[in-house]
Amino acid sequence: MDTRFGGASAGLLQRLRSTRIGVADLREVADRLLPALATSRLRLDLVQRPGAGSVVVLEEDERIVRVHLSDLAEQMTRAGVPPTTPAISAALSSWVAHRPVTDAAAATGGIAVLDWSDAAQTAVGWRVVVRRGELALPWTPVRTAGGAEVHRTRSAAIGRAHEVTLDLRAEGPVALWSHPTVPLLATAALVAPERMIQTIAAAGLAMPDMQVVVTPHRPVACAGPGIAARLAGETTEASVTLPWRRLADLTWI
Amino acid sequence: MSALPAGEPGPQVLVPHWLAGADREQLAAVVRAALVEADVHPVATIHLEDVLTELHVAAARDLVWPASAARVRLATGWDDDVLPVRLSADELASLLALSALPDTLRDRLHGGAGR
Repeated sequence: MDTRFGGASAGLLQRLRSTRIGVADLREVADRLLPALATSRLRLDLVQRPGAGSVVVLEEDERIVRVHLSDLAEQMTRAGVPPTTPAISAALSSWVAHRPVTDAAAATGGIAVLDWSDAAQTAVGWRVVVRRGELALPWTPVRTAGGAEVHRTRSAAIGRAHEVTLDLRAEGPVALWSHPTVPLLATAALVAPERMIQTIAAAGLAMPDMQVVVTPHRPVACAGPGIAARLAGETTEASVTLPWRRLADLTWI
Repeated sequence: MSALPAGEPGPQVLVPHWLAGADREQLAAVVRAALVEADVHPVATIHLEDVLTELHVAAARDLVWPASAARVRLATGWDDDVLPVRLSADELASLLALSALPDTLRDRLHGGAGR
């Protein structure tokens, strides 16, 4: 499911009726909205190209996104955005908020979390994400980025992950960690699993051989091996279960 | 040919029993009471302790992955606190062997996958 346009889905019935987002309607919204969303670093332009349609150009530091207005309208239609001005405005704002994370933003505000490392959702790896409101967006180093620079950004992101405050809830022998507003940040605590074990023990749950059950964007469950297997083995949802000592061996995405 | 060594039982299949919050609380109370009695067989004790664990795990499962049970509740019209409690045949047999198990719960558990 395409989540870049926010949650304003028209619902199945309306999608079945095939209500399309018109390019002219989107252009009207974009003309008004894009200048308001621009900042000193973020340039948002609607470039008219004779005979080739309009292109939205989003430029922030080294990151540039170009998309044909007609393609954007098509993507919004497929995502089920209702063809009303408020809904298109909300979807366009959401799309801008989902823009790529710049190296500077990652370096100054990146947080280390676990995310899916494959499309089939069978493995997880460390990733630097940056908060934008209630979103946590992934940072992908550009190919030309220097190794030392990437390493510095990742190290700083690990440091910031230590500072993320999570909610801990004990459900019998299972400890559940969640973030109150940004679900992906629930895995930030996993940068310091020994501290998690201490906190869980202080809450009355001894878990020296803690296993973690990770589904990125969902609360993190911690339990002893048998209970973790029972928890994760009886669901059809994708998850990865691993002993806490293996967390440090996971690679970066 | 079996992939398992001869004589070793494989992991038991866990069957979901959809129970409301009040049913789960009542079941936990019955099991806890049974566990403090001296006449429960040691093997049954292990199974009953696993039932208590599952009652917690079922709630944890729903907190981590709420979508699948929510879909079933939507399709059946069941209340929001109805969750699948997944029990092995041995765990279920240990529960049904408890004389203190109320008939309403016994009926729900006999119902297998349904309510």
